[in-house]
Amino acid sequence: MTFAASKFKSFLPAATFAMAAEFLMGMSDSVICGHILGETGLSAVNLMQGVFEIVTFAGMMVTVGTSVFFATELGAMHLRRARGYFTLGCLSSVAAGLLAAAVLAIVRAPVIAAFGASPEVSAMTSSYWLWFLPAAVLQPVAFFLGTMCYTDGDAKLSFYSYIAQLVGNCALSIPLTMSFGAAGCAAGTGLGSLLAVVVLLFHFRRKGCMLGFSRHFLLSDLLRMARTSFGDGSKNLGKATLMFALNVYVISHFGSEMLPVLAVAVMTIGISEIFDGVANAAQPLASVYIGEKNVVLTKRVMRIAVLTALVEGCGAMMLLMACPDVMLSLAGVNDPVILPEGRLAVRLVSLSLPGLALVLLFNSYYVFIKREILSTVLTLSAVLVAPLALFTAGGALCGVHGFWFALGVAPCAALVAVSLYLLFREGRARFPFILPEDREKSLRVFDLALDPVEICAASAAVEAHLREKGVEERRAAKAALLVEEALMVVRDHNSGRRILAEVTADTGNGLSLVLRDDGEIFDITDADAQVSSLRCYLVSNLMTEIPNRRNITTTGFNRNIFKL
Amino acid sequence: MEIKTRNEGTRLTISVSGRVDTVTAPELEAGLKFGDAECVVIDLADVPYMSSAGLRLLLTAHKTMLARGGELQIAGVQPSVKEVLDITGFSGILNLV
Repeated sequence: MTFAASKFKSFLPAATFAMAAEFLMGMSDSVICGHILGETGLSAVNLMQGVFEIVTFAGMMVTVGTSVFFATELGAMHLRRARGYFTLGCLSSVAAGLLAAAVLAIVRAPVIAAFGASPEVSAMTSSYWLWFLPAAVLQPVAFFLGTMCYTDGDAKLSFYSYIAQLVGNCALSIPLTMSFGAAGCAAGTGLGSLLAVVVLLFHFRRKGCMLGFSRHFLLSDLLRMARTSFGDGSKNLGKATLMFALNVYVISHFGSEMLPVLAVAVMTIGISEIFDGVANAAQPLASVYIGEKNVVLTKRVMRIAVLTALVEGCGAMMLLMACPDVMLSLAGVNDPVILPEGRLAVRLVSLSLPGLALVLLFNSYYVFIKREILSTVLTLSAVLVAPLALFTAGGALCGVHGFWFALGVAPCAALVAVSLYLLFREGRARFPFILPEDREKSLRVFDLALDPVEICAASAAVEAHLREKGVEERRAAKAALLVEEALMVVRDHNSGRRILAEVTADTGNGLSLVLRDDGEIFDITDADAQVSSLRCYLVSNLMTEIPNRRNITTTGFNRNIFKL
Repeated sequence: MEIKTRNEGTRLTISVSGRVDTVTAPELEAGLKFGDAECVVIDLADVPYMSSAGLRLLLTAHKTMLARGGELQIAGVQPSVKEVLDITGFSGILNLV
């Protein structure tokens, strides 16, 4: 297994569980209200789906940009700039939460009136909405800190914070809902978010924590962050709009009694949130590779991510096709009149999952490579424009069954349309990653496990590659020597452990070598490091010979860059 | 890696060809048998690359020959290997000819 695949694999469970926890968190209030307050409670919380998306959007608008720029600046070895972005992100996440809560407080009454739901459902929604406002302030902060901890390589703590939020939310919401109804459920959600923030603060005590505060930021950075974030956040804005449109359409065309079925269909589509874990697993690696302009490794990690997204999307779709009752039971829907319609709805909307898995991945990827407009167009097409157009047509032509089917095929239809446009515009060679082709010629990546045979083979391969690229013999031999000696020192430093490493030789702009390993964090470039062997002595002297060198811990692994 | 030895009375010439790295160094170590030679020449003309594993062998050989009152000469050093010897300061310790 390659270093990139291994790191992706190590990030994937935490990222997926984190997103699953987020999905469960989003779903938990529907489930709790559905089981405790009945189908009226389920319908009331479903009317809040758009609000949830707006709060997520507020968090995304700060978090995505900060996370991308933080990782990219670290990739370019600019620690103070990276911390400047973090500082700005911290301040902005609090401001975004306050702003979201203020806007939601103002629009509460007119929006609930606009839904036109039954008086019981409207009253319950209004009560939930009011008590959800503290959560609207806390959730962007929790989301921001969780993502930044994750980007900084602390996937475990990030995951624990999601668990704390989910468990805290459920443990508090259940008794509070039983005592205070929908308002209690919303209050429990806010307390769960507070618990997550407290857990995440422990990251700052961790050795190797690169998050910190710095005044190295400009207000214009805020605009850059917001622009970058909008590509990713646009999906939540699109989903918020779609949720409002779906609720209004269903109530006006099929009546309030179809709201529980819509709630189950929305929960089914909501499973796609879990697939965002694939993009989150790829993000720490992809951002660093993009920062290094390493197109070979960027493509490599994204190809692994595409395959993973497809497996997850198709797997979930097949599971729901076979067992649609899982979703109905979760939502607490057991009315025999609506069960058959519910089953059909789950089966039909689950068709959207493979397409959504890819859309969410490329939505994030195009943000990583600073193609925010493309990201926004792709996402809004898949989560808003195509569903809106198709469910209106499907509902008009084939009634409620056409409506569910249209929701199911819309993301795939949008994905195909955007892909065809990209193929036509960018050409087959650049599709779908849209990276500069010329960089690929000057890069060569060598993957290895740190044992003497593989290290020496990599060293020889680096030398042969550099000679082939016209690098003079002495420099090529020096590069080979650096690879062997540095990696052998890393191996000695991690005796008994299997360590994976990745060597990139870049002849694009001079000659540079990037050595990465997942061993114990330590600085191989320190020329004053303690010399305990002839090898260490040689490495120490080599470091003095190479003034242009940097070491930086990046998302939990060692990264060393040498310009020879 | 290939190692050839040539005896000329008390003078022993060991010609090495190929990379001397962590993996191949034990082969070279096994080939560094000096017998009763008073002067040992290690010919590195066909060695384009040497890492610290090779340097350690040269240093050990140098100390062995000094201890028995003999001499070790390192011949035909290529520029890339000379650079390693310079970086470590070994070019001032070993007898390069």
